Amino acid sequence: MNTETRTKRGGVGEKSTLVAHGLRKSYGEFEAVKGLDFEVFPGECFGFLGPNGAGKTTTMRMIYGAAIPTSGTLSVVGLDVRGNERAIKRRIGVVPQENNLDDDLKVRENLLVYGRYFDMPKKAALRRADELLDFVQLTEKSNADVSELSGGMKRRLLIARALINDPDLVVLDEPTTGLDPQARHLVWDKMRDLVREGKTLILTTHYMEEAARLCNRLVIMEDGHIIAGGVPEEMVEEHVSPQVLEFRAAPEALEKLRPVLQEAADDVETGATGEALLAFTHDSDAVLDRVRRSGFTVENTVYRQSSLEDVFLRLTGRSLTD
Amino acid sequence: MGSIRIPSPRGAFRVWQRNATIFRKYWKSAMFPNFFEPLLYLAAMGLGLGAFIQQGGINGQTYVQYIAPGLLASNAMFAASFESTFNTFVKLRIDRIYDAITTTPVNPEDVVAGEYLWAGTRAALYGTGFLAMLTVLGFAFTPENPLISSWWALLIPPMLLVIGVMFSVMGTLFTSLIKRIDLYAYYFTLVVTPLFLFSGIFFPVEEFPAPVPQIAWFTPLYHAVNACRGLANGPDLAVAGDVLWILVFTGALSLVPVQIMRRRLVS
Repeated sequence: MNTETRTKRGGVGEKSTLVAHGLRKSYGEFEAVKGLDFEVFPGECFGFLGPNGAGKTTTMRMIYGAAIPTSGTLSVVGLDVRGNERAIKRRIGVVPQENNLDDDLKVRENLLVYGRYFDMPKKAALRRADELLDFVQLTEKSNADVSELSGGMKRRLLIARALINDPDLVVLDEPTTGLDPQARHLVWDKMRDLVREGKTLILTTHYMEEAARLCNRLVIMEDGHIIAGGVPEEMVEEHVSPQVLEFRAAPEALEKLRPVLQEAADDVETGATGEALLAFTHDSDAVLDRVRRSGFTVENTVYRQSSLEDVFLRLTGRSLTD
Repeated sequence: MGSIRIPSPRGAFRVWQRNATIFRKYWKSAMFPNFFEPLLYLAAMGLGLGAFIQQGGINGQTYVQYIAPGLLASNAMFAASFESTFNTFVKLRIDRIYDAITTTPVNPEDVVAGEYLWAGTRAALYGTGFLAMLTVLGFAFTPENPLISSWWALLIPPMLLVIGVMFSVMGTLFTSLIKRIDLYAYYFTLVVTPLFLFSGIFFPVEEFPAPVPQIAWFTPLYHAVNACRGLANGPDLAVAGDVLWILVFTGALSLVPVQIMRRRLVS
């Protein structure tokens, strides 16, 4: 597992923003996080990719002090999470999974009141709030009620709120879950801007595309474990062949097709719903040719480049989104 | 898990300030019913029921004079109880405001302390308006028997703040223990209402046979009523004992909801 790859910005010797060793969290009998090791360097966008229930949110909660590790070590912005919760929270920003904006306050007031929790002087908070509203394109909504905002606007306001204290690390838990595609792209733009500015971001997601687009490095989590990690493109290269052919047919037909594919392709996986076979290969033409010669009618076939989704499928035999 | 958490005054102030910011927006509509309710009691019990109570009243006071200061205390109890029950529940479990606040340098223990102070503030604000009204009404309609007759009454607003904090601690304790908002029916029916009826607002509890006065001594509103009555009617050394009781009770109980609420916010 290669989680130690350094990005351009996170050079050797630079202090890590986040370091976890053997990090565990149990709730009674239930172990949500089962021993994580990871390291995040300044300026990175680091992703935690995995299905619901993989332990991503619990990991985030430990980072911002809403959960206390059962064992292992976790340091955030250079400080151990045990005994430094206020100091850590002063230097990070959190975008929660669920909207928890203050409905009794107007859009801009949400930022100003939040700034007070960080003891920001009023003038500085006013200036910062206006900059941030501009950044997330909500200046026009400054004096609107939060309840008037769309889901995408609320998420952008949550991002602005997380930036009020100019944090060293921004934690985003499922930042685009529940957003329509357009709103999602706008959120992605904002996150890319932040990375460009040199902010360190960590995000959780169960969208492969989101992780692939935004993250310099990521880990894939399943059932409380990290099962793989690294640079997205390298992980795809490492774990799956570059091309994928998806064959869709009735289950009996697929069973007949399977031995043919097993011979022709590098790897064969059953698709998430069980109604497709995925053939991973370096030479899709050769595979298709073999399939045709076997007499199987190729009418419902999809050709595509392999992705992180396939890495997850290869490693777990399951789909990310189910 | 972990040691006892002591709130930071700065964090508590930030939470208080958040509530004050919001209150400033709608204080007029929020305060109006709270003025009105004690006046209704005063009219119904003081003038209505009071008319049937023999001349001479209670302890040398007319009936309306007797109950007015007690209503100040119960008004503070109701204000702080609503704040620390329904309002706090919504912020904790529905709007998740505390989740947002506790990702900042403000910790859960600061949130609870800030809410105590805010409930006390709200009780004092409501009570001060009501106190002013009682004073004016008393001098306007029955100048020979004013409802508020002593300069010591100026100490009632800070007293109401302390009483508000005490009932906020109790309400927050209940809030920290329940998962469903409808369970407040138990708190109001079994705690708040009996206190309201049997704490010496409407009749002197002391004149009942044992163990009624002894039981009353162990309940919080009884002392709040005594303190307000003592301050409304002039210097009364016994007030010191009631204040001491309130401070000891509030102090002893205050850290319990802090620890339980922390567990609701940090797992």
